[in-house]
Amino acid sequence: MKIGTKWTKWAVALVLALALGAAAVAAAEEEPTRDEYVDQLEAICKPDALATQRVMKGARSDIQHERLKVAAGKFAKADSIFGSTVKKISAVARPPADRERLKKWFGYLKQQETYLTKITAKLRAEEAIAAQRLTARFIHNGNLANNVVLPFGFEYCSFKFSRFG
Amino acid sequence: MALGLLFVLLAWSVGAASGERSQRGDLIVALQGQISPLRLPRHEPAPVRLHLEGGLLTADGTLLPRVDRVEIGFPTQGVISTQGLPVCTVRQLLNATSEGALAACRPALIGHGSVEADVLLPDQGAFRIDARLLVFNGPRRHGHRLLLLHGYAPKLPTTVVLPFRLERHRGRFGITIGADLPAALGPWPHLARFTLDLGRRYSFRGRPRSFISASCPIPPIFTEGFVSLARITYTLNGGREVRQAITRRCHGL
Repeated sequence: MKIGTKWTKWAVALVLALALGAAAVAAAEEEPTRDEYVDQLEAICKPDALATQRVMKGARSDIQHERLKVAAGKFAKADSIFGSTVKKISAVARPPADRERLKKWFGYLKQQETYLTKITAKLRAEEAIAAQRLTARFIHNGNLANNVVLPFGFEYCSFKFSRFG
Repeated sequence: MALGLLFVLLAWSVGAASGERSQRGDLIVALQGQISPLRLPRHEPAPVRLHLEGGLLTADGTLLPRVDRVEIGFPTQGVISTQGLPVCTVRQLLNATSEGALAACRPALIGHGSVEADVLLPDQGAFRIDARLLVFNGPRRHGHRLLLLHGYAPKLPTTVVLPFRLERHRGRFGITIGADLPAALGPWPHLARFTLDLGRRYSFRGRPRSFISASCPIPPIFTEGFVSLARITYTLNGGREVRQAITRRCHGL
């Protein structure tokens, strides 16, 4: 009995140690370095950024020729892509040291998404002045977002107004 | 000649004072700028002045990399006119102080500014120098107009003359001025900051002209527009390129 109890204790200890070790490994896997995080996000953002450029092609000309509803359709597609991108990148585990900074960045991204939705609605309603005001905020907010993650050196995950026509 | 500036939608306050920045590795590229006046005709170009400032910064405070080439791009529809402007030559500017350069070439002056650069001399720590910049209309070379940038640092004292080639390409920033920074420039190419004001009104054959003209080509339903105002590209030693573009607003008259 004593031997059996001793072995049971050892077995429990071993299982606990293995479990803790596995948890530590899992935690380490879930906490990427900043470089790994940037690579993961850029891989998600790149196809979406290129898709945004494609769907927004001609929007500049549409607006110049007062085809606001046509432009609204393009903004709606861009909005949908952007929303999907934000959802995907939100799910990626964040480097522990950058969590606060990234929280702020995602706040700006959510705001960007809201602006895109509102711009689309205003263009669809042919409310030109409201759309221009929102676009100004959209650009300003995008630049603020970029400044938050400046050290990350994003290319495709950074805001570039040129992608929107 | 046709007008103005690229635009997409229209605006209210893009915050012209807040410059755009991007970072690649430890290197931060910054650019900001604006045109004046902001109120411009919608259908015909009007004289404007362009202010740009920017530079390079290392996030960890280490010495800036050497810049081998600088190129500034402007929107394709912008108008740059040098017709009838007097021409200054490199020879007139070589070894001249800023005052000397102005004495020789003031009629060809099209801009001015300043530059800060890190200087690294053997057996000494890096230090920063300030130089005054003057930009003159230069001669044509191989079919392209040259803009001569004259830099004079009184503390060192050193004079640099860089010929920037004015070119037209396809694409959003289809007008470029670019210059290679030769090895002979020694410590100068560790560029830290610059400011540049371009613009010159003059008359030619009795008609008013402007070195830079722009319009705000927006439809009547909008009051303001966004312009892709400028893009700067630095080619660093080793061939790596870093760039930054800025978007600004204009008001339609």
